[in-house]
Amino acid sequence: MKPQDMTIAAAENTYFRGLFGVLGGLLLILSSLGNAGWGPFDHDVAFFAGLAVLGAAALVLNRYYNERYGRSRPTIRHHRRMAVAMFVGAPAVFFGSLLLSSRASWSLNLPLNTIAISMALIILMVSVATVGVRMHYVVVFGTLLVAGLLPIWEREGMSGNTGLWMAGVALIIGGLLDHRLLVRKFGPAREEDRAGA
Amino acid sequence: MPEDDFTLDRLIHEPGRLAILTVLTSVAEADFVFLQRTTGLTKGNLSSHLTKLEDAGLVEIEKRFVRKKPNTNVSLTKDGAERVARHWAQLERLRGLADPEGAR
Repeated sequence: MKPQDMTIAAAENTYFRGLFGVLGGLLLILSSLGNAGWGPFDHDVAFFAGLAVLGAAALVLNRYYNERYGRSRPTIRHHRRMAVAMFVGAPAVFFGSLLLSSRASWSLNLPLNTIAISMALIILMVSVATVGVRMHYVVVFGTLLVAGLLPIWEREGMSGNTGLWMAGVALIIGGLLDHRLLVRKFGPAREEDRAGA
Repeated sequence: MPEDDFTLDRLIHEPGRLAILTVLTSVAEADFVFLQRTTGLTKGNLSSHLTKLEDAGLVEIEKRFVRKKPNTNVSLTKDGAERVARHWAQLERLRGLADPEGAR
């Protein structure tokens, strides 16, 4: 056993609670439906009802994960790493996206999907800060990044909403893969546990 | 640590206890279920190891109730953090002796 084996296991138990990612993906899709005013989402009440459902689901998931996989509190060093990813990395990505394509006079105005690019980069940054580089993140969010970088997106119109959809789907797929890894690695109680319960 | 001191801490060196302590170095605190899932130890084994570690002053154990269910919370003491770090450094030194090119 190397020390990294146990520290990685601890990180995986904490961050592979992927059903939260599924909820995050659904939230992005809900946002795009609200933006587009599609069907019942033409009314704000439908959007807020969807938010309430996702919020309730998050509480249920939190309880499920805590009871099945336990609770831990991150170290201060970990909080610092996350703070760098969120408060330095995320703004850098945001301003980078404005430079690539926005209404700003200094924008390069490229036909890219900056929402897809930004979401992919931010999620990849956060995953490196928490569990390290993982192949399924590289594939899922790398695909999202590549899709955003294709020079096919219209500067106005529905590109933003399409970016939200794509990011939402990527989060759902990534979340399901995370959850599968969590269950396979830390899965159901062993026979000795069941006998002793 | 003297260069010729290769004594390993027998309390920490046991694989189950080493796993528990190493997990606790990467979190501020963790509960019993988290430790059990992450280390793969059975309930009985984990309980036994935690008792030994608490008696040796390497961990602090707090028993409380969460949603009316008993919950055992564990954290490293300062002594525990120092001893487990020293133990891993000791193991690295021993590995370095076996591999003169340097530990990989």
